[in-house]
Amino acid sequence: MTADLSDARDRELVQRIRRGDGEAFRGLFGRYAPSAMALARRVVRQPFLAEEIVQEAFLAVWRNPGGYDPQRGSVRAWLMGMVHHRAVDTVRREESQRRRVEESQLSDRVVQPDPAEDVVDEIGLPEERRAVRAALDELPAEQRQVIELMYFDGLSQSKISDQLGLPLGTVKSRTLLGMRRLRGSIGGWPR
Amino acid sequence: MMRSHERIEELIAFRSIYGLDPQEQAELEREMASHPPDCEECRRLETEYGEVGGRLAFALDPVPVRQGFADETIELALGEAPGSRRKVGSRLRPLVAVAAALVLFAGGAIVGATVFGGTEVSSQATVLTFEPQDPNLTGTITAAFTPGEPGIYLQGSGLDPLSPNEVYELWLIEGETPAAAVCVRPTEDGSVFAFADTEAVTDALLAVTVEPSSCSDAPTTPPIWVAPITSA
Repeated sequence: MTADLSDARDRELVQRIRRGDGEAFRGLFGRYAPSAMALARRVVRQPFLAEEIVQEAFLAVWRNPGGYDPQRGSVRAWLMGMVHHRAVDTVRREESQRRRVEESQLSDRVVQPDPAEDVVDEIGLPEERRAVRAALDELPAEQRQVIELMYFDGLSQSKISDQLGLPLGTVKSRTLLGMRRLRGSIGGWPR
Repeated sequence: MMRSHERIEELIAFRSIYGLDPQEQAELEREMASHPPDCEECRRLETEYGEVGGRLAFALDPVPVRQGFADETIELALGEAPGSRRKVGSRLRPLVAVAAALVLFAGGAIVGATVFGGTEVSSQATVLTFEPQDPNLTGTITAAFTPGEPGIYLQGSGLDPLSPNEVYELWLIEGETPAAAVCVRPTEDGSVFAFADTEAVTDALLAVTVEPSSCSDAPTTPPIWVAPITSA
């Protein structure tokens, strides 16, 4: 029920953004920027690049709110899909960046959290996190491993194959089996 | 006839977590083009795997944003009109002016249905041949559409190869405003085929640019192939 209310509220925010409502944009940003930042930082491993990605994704929402189609899924999946797309593309475009990971982690600036984050609207999101984590935890370890490498590290299937020393076909079949399970657990729409 | 969705499901599942390689991306586009545009199962697969791909992000703990970052982003957004796409950059403006003066050079209404990229298009279809903007470009690109209806088929052959991080992107440019239509990667032999759910309105310009593989919201490079849409 909370998820339904949360989805309905997100759709309403996007509707208002279509009408040029800046407060609705502020609401959507406050609600999802921390999750978007977590994803972007996890994939690109560099705070300044992660900020660029998150900012680009939210500006894309403002510029083209009509890109969201309620028949095609939730606002949160649409938004995070844009963040993920940009983050992985950044990683793959800058292969050398991967080699700078340790260096960048050392130089990672200390983040002073925005005081506004104290009042971030977290309605429905803790429940969402529990559901997604539970769905991942239910996967056999070998399926979860390839999906996490692909999604959170932005690795291509062939890179995963090399890294794990597995035939490419095995990587593909594990990924597909895992994704089918996830479709069954968290792929439902409308909820 | 009932078509199999097994391969499409596999490709859509990989795509939803950005796991497709370029050849598979092209294969998915071909597979999707071989199914009707209103294929319910295709749509269900895209929706449900898209939901998985987006929601996996919530497995991570949220990270507080830097102080001031929210205000910076909101100020940037509020400085633009909502729903506005970026205007054509200076590199595009001369091209738009030239295109407006061009006559229809290689198009026209086709009599009888024609097969386009393996798909039969309407007997009322208009086919346009794109003009290369650089004499060193190889290949040909054509687009087919039915005036007054959404849907543009893009077909090319013998095109220059792209790096793994690049795609061709089709734009519909009305006035000075480009709207993204579809991205496509050429196959090894330089062929492309794609469908855009976009209406080719009269007096607009169809243009193809090379963009990062994530596709772009606005052109980041000058068009290399163009075709003006006229009412002729």
